[in-house]
Amino acid sequence: MTDLMLPPDTGTDHRYPEASTDNELLDDFDGRLRCSSVTDITHDVRSFSFTLDDRAQLRFTPGQYLTLQVPVDGVPVERCYTISSAPADADELTITVKRVPDGPVSNWLHDHLRVGDVLGASGPLGAFSSDLHPAEQLVLLSAGSGITPVMSMLREMINRGSTQQIRFIHSARTPDDIIFRAELEWLDTYPNVDVTIICEADSATENWQGPTGRLSPAVLLKAAPDLLGSEIFTCGPAPYMAAVREMVDLLGVDPGRYHEESFVLGTPGAPLAPSTTETPSADAPTTATHLVEFRRAGRTIDCDASTSILTAASAAGIPLPSSCGEGVCGSCKQDLLSGEVDMQHAGGIRPKEIRQGKVLLCSAKPTSDLIIDA
Amino acid sequence: MTIFAPNPDATATSTLSSLIRRRRPGFSLEAEFYTDPTVFAADLDAVFGRHWIFVATEAEIAEEGDYVTVTVGKASVIIIRDDDFEIRAFRNVCRHRGARLLNEERGSVGNIVCGYHQWTYSPDGSLLHAKDQPADFDKSCFGLRSVSVRSEGGLIFICLAAEPPNDFDEVSARIEAYLGPHQLTNTKVAAQIDLVEHANWKLVMENNRECYHCEAGHPELTCTFFPTYGHAVEDIPTRLLPAHARYLQAEHDLETACSDRGYPYELIHELTGRPSAFRIQREALDGAGESYTIDGTAASQKLLGDLDTPRLGRLSLHHQPNMWSHFLADHAVVFSALPLDVDRTLVRTTWLVHSDAVEGEDYDLDNLTAVWKMTNAQDAGLCALAQTGVSDPGYLPGPYAPSESDVDDFVTWYIERLSEVVEP
Repeated sequence: MTDLMLPPDTGTDHRYPEASTDNELLDDFDGRLRCSSVTDITHDVRSFSFTLDDRAQLRFTPGQYLTLQVPVDGVPVERCYTISSAPADADELTITVKRVPDGPVSNWLHDHLRVGDVLGASGPLGAFSSDLHPAEQLVLLSAGSGITPVMSMLREMINRGSTQQIRFIHSARTPDDIIFRAELEWLDTYPNVDVTIICEADSATENWQGPTGRLSPAVLLKAAPDLLGSEIFTCGPAPYMAAVREMVDLLGVDPGRYHEESFVLGTPGAPLAPSTTETPSADAPTTATHLVEFRRAGRTIDCDASTSILTAASAAGIPLPSSCGEGVCGSCKQDLLSGEVDMQHAGGIRPKEIRQGKVLLCSAKPTSDLIIDA
Repeated sequence: MTIFAPNPDATATSTLSSLIRRRRPGFSLEAEFYTDPTVFAADLDAVFGRHWIFVATEAEIAEEGDYVTVTVGKASVIIIRDDDFEIRAFRNVCRHRGARLLNEERGSVGNIVCGYHQWTYSPDGSLLHAKDQPADFDKSCFGLRSVSVRSEGGLIFICLAAEPPNDFDEVSARIEAYLGPHQLTNTKVAAQIDLVEHANWKLVMENNRECYHCEAGHPELTCTFFPTYGHAVEDIPTRLLPAHARYLQAEHDLETACSDRGYPYELIHELTGRPSAFRIQREALDGAGESYTIDGTAASQKLLGDLDTPRLGRLSLHHQPNMWSHFLADHAVVFSALPLDVDRTLVRTTWLVHSDAVEGEDYDLDNLTAVWKMTNAQDAGLCALAQTGVSDPGYLPGPYAPSESDVDDFVTWYIERLSEVVEP
């Protein structure tokens, strides 16, 4: 992304076409935004709304972001902020900013930006949008200020009178930190909207009645039982997104239906490229893949060196006895006819049995091509 | 070792009543319940002699004169379709001097003729002919003795009691609302396999009423049968979470499919507290979600009834004391368990397909039967292990796992039945 200098405050901005009609729609904007309102959302989150000059309107898809130029100590600094408002409310654009300790831009916005002020901006950017992945069922997962892009999506769907089933699952630190709380409670009353809010802890004034702690596979499945059939959009801090990736990976979500915005607010630079089709596996393994032949089943499958034989067989639809999956019970013990494995078990197989060529499929990963008597 | 006196006299009854009193809910029964001939005799009377038991399907007696014979304890019962297409059931005993009338397990007759003196009965049970009788011989007094019989949407139940439990019709009406779309009366038997399991009938039923053993015990079944059966969401172990996620999604899809078509799917769970206790629910299947095959795709291309989608999961039905069944879009697989002896039980599995389905064209018989053939063999092995173990002096009743609550319900229902006939 190119660095943009803050345009002069005086005169008109010549870099975008003159409005030929009222409410001209701009797809690609590079100019100035005028702050039209400032609203406190929580104790450390504020929304800033902007209008374009000449009553033009910006065409964007919900989930996209703008690059703002903010004069911190007289030096223009660029930051990306998701548009939290919906495209249908195009007269104004809103960004919602959490004050980050030691975050120069968020602190400047909170401390200095007032109604009538003008900022340089360009955009919209980003492919993290429900509009690009039409679906009957959506799961919107967010944590903290990661709520902004999915809120834009939710608001837009409500504006359009959409009948899609929307599951909105938001994680906040405490009840006091729930961004757009009242609005979410109101949206929850829509028959096709289901809001779940998880708080990590109580606040000084409120004991949280909903799910507490962190998002877990069980909480996720309770909130979104139709997870596997849904298009999933996730935005939040890096550790949260890594945890969600791990969960959806475990639960067998189709990577093609998992979309995330790797948006770290308040840090320099452009957001990372939104991933839409990458495998959600946190560690993209480039490990070797081996052939595993199940002699009695008459099947040969691929299994990479970081996957247990049992998992690979299960994914390939080869039925094999198993129970604990943790290398304790020995239910998945089979004879290895040839090949080598890396086996980290938990006592479900004896050294003598290993010497006899037996393996626990749940605990064994191939280090060569294998033939198994199963 | 038996703690009973040789004759089922007052001593036995008092011991049976003390066994009943000592039953600990949530735990398997004491050994005598599974091993003692006196208890077995009490089971035949209190359970199989007085309740509706599942014995056959209408598809087995498709035409007039078709019959099956069923043995329950010492009793043999003829189930026959009469010339008015009604289903009848009779004691398989000649009214002359008691000879066994039909010795075959199944067949077709014009009339029922006793092989001893050729007394001849119509399929409706009336005595048509008894040769060389005096002039005042009144044939109408010597018809076959009726046995109460009901068809529940094509599933045939009999009750040997003079006064059967009167709650069965109400139960059947509710079940038929679920069975309706499968049109079982428009099916044929694709296969039927009898398996003698070396276990007390209660161990066979207990084994059926839980899937705690499925993950290790039934690798083929769990390709489509979700191993999280009976688990509360909070208790799903991590290794089963992927399957649970698939289960929830498949359930969601199934509910949509059912709602669109007006098919009931909700759980009805009345396994205790009534004579005709049952459980019914339509639930999703894993894999392709269509049928009990290794990959979950339909085994028969000709769907049952007028069904328009193969993806209707499994409509699963449990009746106390002796039945479990699954009705899929493309076929039905029904099971009847009948006690042969204290440690032997007949498990009869019947696969039903659409009447017009052609073997080799619409379905492959091996593919249709593979999963449950293997599952039955595995279950027979597990039940034999259980019987051997409970017969060991070292056996103590053990706790049912949370996912085995239907097992505890089965035992509760059984104890309720015994309590009705045994003096406290």
